Amino acid sequence: MDGFLGRYRNLSVLVIVIMAQLVLLAVQVKNNQDVRLIRVWAVTAMTPLARVLEGIRANTFGVAGEYWQLLEVRSENRTMKVDLDRLKLENQYLKEELATAKRVEAMASFVQRNPSKTIGARIIGAGSGMNSKVVFIDRGSTSGVLKGMPVITPDGIVGKVTASYPVGAQVMLITDPTFACGVVSDKSRIHGTVRGQGNNQLLVDYIQNEQQVAVGEVFYTSGDDRIFPKGLPVGPVRVARQGKLFKEIYLAPTAFEKGLEEVLVVLEGVHQQIPDLLPGAGTGPEAKPLAPPPSESVPTPVDATPQQKPDQKLSTDADKLLEKYRSIGEQQGVRYGNPGRVPNFNAPPPVVKPPAPKTETPPAAPVVPPN
Amino acid sequence: MPLPEYSEANFVEGRRRKSSSSSFRPIVFFLVPLFSVLLDIFLPRFIESARTLEFPLLITIYFSLMKRQPIAGIAIGATIGLMQDSLSQQPLGMFGIVKTLVGYFAASVSLRFDLNNPALRFMLCNFFFVFHQFFYWVMVRALLGQATNINGMDELVRSLLNSAVALPLFLALDKLREDES
Amino acid sequence: MRFLRDESKFAQGKIAFLQYLSVGVFLLILGGYWNLQIRNEEIYSLKAERNRIKALPIPAPRGKILDRDKRVIVDNHSSFSVLLSRETLKEEHLKPIAEGLDLDYDELLAKLKRHRARPKYQAIFIKEELTPAEIAFVESHRDPDTYPELELIHTERRVYPESGFGAHLIGYVGEVSESELNLADFAKYQQGDLVGKTGIERQYNDLLAGVDGQRQVLVDNKGNERRTLGMKPAVPGKPVELTIDLDVQTVMELAMDGRRGGAVALDPRNGEVLAMVSRPGFNLSSLSSRERNRQWREIFSNPEKPLLNRAIQAQMAPGSTFKPIVALAALESGEITNDTSFGCGGGLNFFGRYFHCHNKKGHGATTLKKALAQSCDVYFYNVGNKIGIDKIAEYAKIAGFGAKTGIDLPAEAEGTLPSSKWKIRALREKWYGGDTISVAIGQGYLTSTPIQLAHAIGGLAIGGIWHTPHLLKGEPASKPARKADLNLDHVRFVVDGMCEVVNGWGTATNSRVPGVEMCGKTGTAQTVSNEYQKARNIHVKDNAWFVAFAPRVNPEIAVAVLFEEGEHGNLAGTIARDVVKAHFDKKARKDMSQSQPGAATAGLQTPAGGAGN
Repeated sequence: MDGFLGRYRNLSVLVIVIMAQLVLLAVQVKNNQDVRLIRVWAVTAMTPLARVLEGIRANTFGVAGEYWQLLEVRSENRTMKVDLDRLKLENQYLKEELATAKRVEAMASFVQRNPSKTIGARIIGAGSGMNSKVVFIDRGSTSGVLKGMPVITPDGIVGKVTASYPVGAQVMLITDPTFACGVVSDKSRIHGTVRGQGNNQLLVDYIQNEQQVAVGEVFYTSGDDRIFPKGLPVGPVRVARQGKLFKEIYLAPTAFEKGLEEVLVVLEGVHQQIPDLLPGAGTGPEAKPLAPPPSESVPTPVDATPQQKPDQKLSTDADKLLEKYRSIGEQQGVRYGNPGRVPNFNAPPPVVKPPAPKTETPPAAPVVPPN
Repeated sequence: MPLPEYSEANFVEGRRRKSSSSSFRPIVFFLVPLFSVLLDIFLPRFIESARTLEFPLLITIYFSLMKRQPIAGIAIGATIGLMQDSLSQQPLGMFGIVKTLVGYFAASVSLRFDLNNPALRFMLCNFFFVFHQFFYWVMVRALLGQATNINGMDELVRSLLNSAVALPLFLALDKLREDES
Repeated sequence: MRFLRDESKFAQGKIAFLQYLSVGVFLLILGGYWNLQIRNEEIYSLKAERNRIKALPIPAPRGKILDRDKRVIVDNHSSFSVLLSRETLKEEHLKPIAEGLDLDYDELLAKLKRHRARPKYQAIFIKEELTPAEIAFVESHRDPDTYPELELIHTERRVYPESGFGAHLIGYVGEVSESELNLADFAKYQQGDLVGKTGIERQYNDLLAGVDGQRQVLVDNKGNERRTLGMKPAVPGKPVELTIDLDVQTVMELAMDGRRGGAVALDPRNGEVLAMVSRPGFNLSSLSSRERNRQWREIFSNPEKPLLNRAIQAQMAPGSTFKPIVALAALESGEITNDTSFGCGGGLNFFGRYFHCHNKKGHGATTLKKALAQSCDVYFYNVGNKIGIDKIAEYAKIAGFGAKTGIDLPAEAEGTLPSSKWKIRALREKWYGGDTISVAIGQGYLTSTPIQLAHAIGGLAIGGIWHTPHLLKGEPASKPARKADLNLDHVRFVVDGMCEVVNGWGTATNSRVPGVEMCGKTGTAQTVSNEYQKARNIHVKDNAWFVAFAPRVNPEIAVAVLFEEGEHGNLAGTIARDVVKAHFDKKARKDMSQSQPGAATAGLQTPAGGAGN
C-alpha cells in the first residue's frame, strides 16, 4: 500500500483534496449550512490588502483622474466660446466638484444631519461571479456592522448587509434581483416596493395602474420594510407606464450615479420625513428606532401611512345601488318599509345624486342603466 | 521498444525534469494568488467588463505550469479556488474542485512542454480556460442542481481574451522567478 | 530539449494515460456516489424530490355573482397573501416574521402545529389581504440570506357588498372542514382549500370554485428559485348569473333594515327569485377568511342567530296569510260559495272553547270577500270547521306547504303541515276539532317559511301552477312545476278578496301601491298562546306577516314578508309595498327605454306613479 501511495502520490493527493472539498460541498448542500470559518479567513486575509489597494487607487487614479478631467475642461473652455458648451462645461465642472472635494464634506454633513446612527465604510471589492450584485466593505462585526443592516450614501440607498465577518462585510446591492425594499413617492405619496432587476434600473412594484406617477418624481424609502429608515432617497422615476397587473415604474438609483466608494452603514435607523412634502400634521422627525439588525423587537414604523390603500374602497354594483336607493329615500322623505309615503323610484332627480337621468339636465346625466 | 517501463533512465529523466521546475520566493507564492483573487473582485467595481477576466485561473495555471509538481498544482488550485468561493455566494468548494483539477493537470502536462514558448502558453491557457469553464458548468448542474446556461461562443471569446491577457501576465510573473536554469 | 522522444518517454506516456484514465474512472464513481448520496439522498422518497421542487399554489379566482341584468353582486379584487414554506423553515425566523407581519407569535406557532400532519411541501397561508407595507416587508425579507421561507402569492379575493347586503343569499366561503371533507360534494378538496359554506357560494360551489393551479419551481440548496419547471394555470371559476333583481333586492334590504325576519320576492310565472333578505344580517367579509377572528366568533355565538336565512329557514305560524288557501280549499270542496256568509260577533264557541276574532266587536255578516279583506277569524273558524283539517291539508299540500319548495339553496326548512294522519304519526295523538279551528286561521300546528308562502300564494294567483323557486338564471329549476286543476272562478274569488285587503276596505290599505293593483293578505301570528302569556304575565309581540302579488291579473311578482314581532300584518305590508313598487318602477323604466331606444342615453323617464311632482 505504501508503495502504491508512493508511486501514485500525486494522484492520491489529488483524490484526497477533491474528496475533502466534495465532503465540504456535501455538508453545505445537504444541511443548507454555510461553512463560515473558511469565508471568515478569506475575507480577513483579503480585507487589509484590498484596503491598501483601494487607498492607492483613490489617492492616485481617483484624484489624478478627476484633476486631469478638470484641466481638460478648462482648456476647452478657453478655446470654445459657445455659450451652450460653456454651460455644459460648467455643469460638468460643478458635478466634478461635488464628486471630489465636496464628497467627503457632503458625507460628513449628512452624517451630522441624519439622526440615524451610521458608520462610514469603504467598498473594497465586488463579489466574484458573472452577475453578482454584491460588494464587500471594509467594516465588519467588530465595528458593529451586522447582517441585515442598511447601507446608504447621502445620495441614496445602496443595499443591505447580507453577511458580516470580523473585518469586512458583504453587501447586497439594491440592483440585485433578490433585493427589495419599501418605497414611497415624494409627490403622490404612493407606497410601493422597489426591486432590483440585475441591471442598473430598479422596478417599483405593487402600484396600481390607476395611480398617477410622473417621470422625475423621486421615490424615498418608506420604512415599511422595517430595514431602511424612512426618508432616504432611492431614485427618480425614469419610466412609468401601464403594466399588466401593476404599473411599471423604473427608477435610476441615485446612489450609483457618482460611482460607489464610501458608504454608510446604518447601525440604528431613525425614520424621517419625506423631503419637500411634509404632511399637514407634521410632528417633526419621527424618532422611532428601527429594528435592531439581527431583527429583534421591531417597532412598527409609526409612520402613519395614512394613504395605505389609496382611497380605493372596494365595492360592487350592489353597494352603488344601495347608495342610490338610500339617497332616493332620503330625498323623498321615505323610510322604506314603514307606513307613510310610498317611494317613487322614477321621480325626476333633484340636483345631486339623481337616481335616474333627466332630459333637462344633460350635463349631469349620470350613467344609470336604462333597463 | 522492449525496454522496461520503469527503467533507471526513466526516473533520472523525471528527476532531471523536475529539477527544472521554477522556484519562487515564498512571499510571491503567498501574495500573487491573493492579489489575483483581489483583482477579481476589485476590478469589476470600476470596469464591468473586467468580469470577463479570470485572474485566479490564470495564476493557477501559471504556477502549476511553472512548478511542474502536481501536488503543488493541487495546493495552489485548491487554495485559490476556495478563496474565490469564499468571496462568491456559491457554496464553498465549487471553484475549489475545478481549480484543483486545473492545477493538477496543468502541472502534469507541464512535464512535457517547453513552457517558455508563448504560442504554447497561449494554447494551454485556452485549453485550461475552456476546461475550467466546462467543468464548472458541469459541477453547477450536477452538484447544485442549478441550471445555468453556457454560451459556447461567449466562452470561446472569453477564453481567447484571457489567454491574450495571460501572455504579458506570465511574462511579468517570469520576472519573479528564481530559476537556476 | 524540446519534445524529448525516446522509448522511456513513450512508456511514460502510457503511464500518464493510465493515470488520467484512473482519475476519470474515479470521478465517474464519485459522481455516481454524489448523485445517490447527496442529491437524491432518499431517492425513493418523494420528500427528497420535493425538496428540490417547490410547489406554489395559484388559487383560482372564484366566479363572480351577477344579478339578472349582469350587474355585479359579488366581485373579486386583486390581493396578496403570504405563505410560509415549511421545508426551509428555520424556527428562529418565526419570531421576527410574526413581528414584521403583526401576527401573534403563539398563534403562528399553534398554526404550524395544526398543520404538522400535512405534507411539508405544502406551504401554509399565514396572512391574507396584505397591506402595501406588509408586502414591502415580505418582499424585502424573502431573499435567500434573510427569510427564504416567505412566499408571496397573488390571489383574487372576494369583494362582498357592504354591511350584510344579500349575505344569506350569497353565503360565505371558508376553509373546508373535517366533516365536509367526508361529503361527496367536497371529495375532491383537500385540507386548507376554500369552499362555499352557505348560500349560493355553497350551492354552486362547483361552478364558482374553478380549479386551483400550481407553479412548480426548481429551488437550489439556498432556496433560490432557479427555474419554473411547470405551470398549471388556475382555471377561474365561472360567473353565476342569478335571477335576483338588484333593484328589488336593494329596496327589500333597505325596507327590512332594523327589523328581524325574512322576506322573499319571486316571479310566480316561472319561479325566479327576484329578491331575498333575512335580518339580522352579518358581514360576509368578516366571515370569508381563513382566520377565525373575533368577528367570526361573535357572529356564530350571537343569540339572534344572524346566520339563519329566515326567508327559507324561519318556520313560523303564517297566521292569517294562510286564509286564502283555506278559502280556496273551501270553494273547491264546494262547502261554501262566494256568497256564503257567516255572522261574526267577535268570537265563537267551538268544541267547548271560545275562539276570539281579532276584532272583538265583530265583523257582522261576512262574505268571503269581506272575510279576506278584513281578515275575519270567525268566518274562517266556521269554514275550517265545515271542511275539516284533511281538506285544508290537501289543498295546502298542493300549494306547497309542509314540503321544501326546492329552491336551490342549502338547508331549506320544510315547515309543518298538520293533518289528522300527521298528528298521529308525529305526536301519537288523535286530531281534535279544535285543532282545525286554529289551523284555519294559520295558527296551531301549522308553520311555514316566507318562501313557502310566496310560492303558495303566487302559484294560486296565476291559477294553480306552482313553479319551483330558483336562483340560477336560464337554468330550469330542480323540480318541474306542479299543476292543480282549479276552478278559475274560485281562484278569482280569492284574488278579489286579497285585492280588497289592500285596495278596498281591508287590513292593509296603508300598503297601496300607486298605479299598481297589488293584492295581499296580512297575517298577525301569535308565537305563544294567549293562555301561556297570561299564565306567565308576559306579553310576546306577534309576528307580522304579509303575502302579496301584483298585479291582480297575470301577476308577475309575489312577495312574502315575515316581520318578527312586528305586531300587525300591515306593518309587514308596507315592506312588500316598497318591494313591489321597486319592481314596477323598474319595469316602467325598462319599457320607456325600449320604446324610445334613441333616447336611451338621455334616459328619458317619466314617473310611473305620477307622484313625481
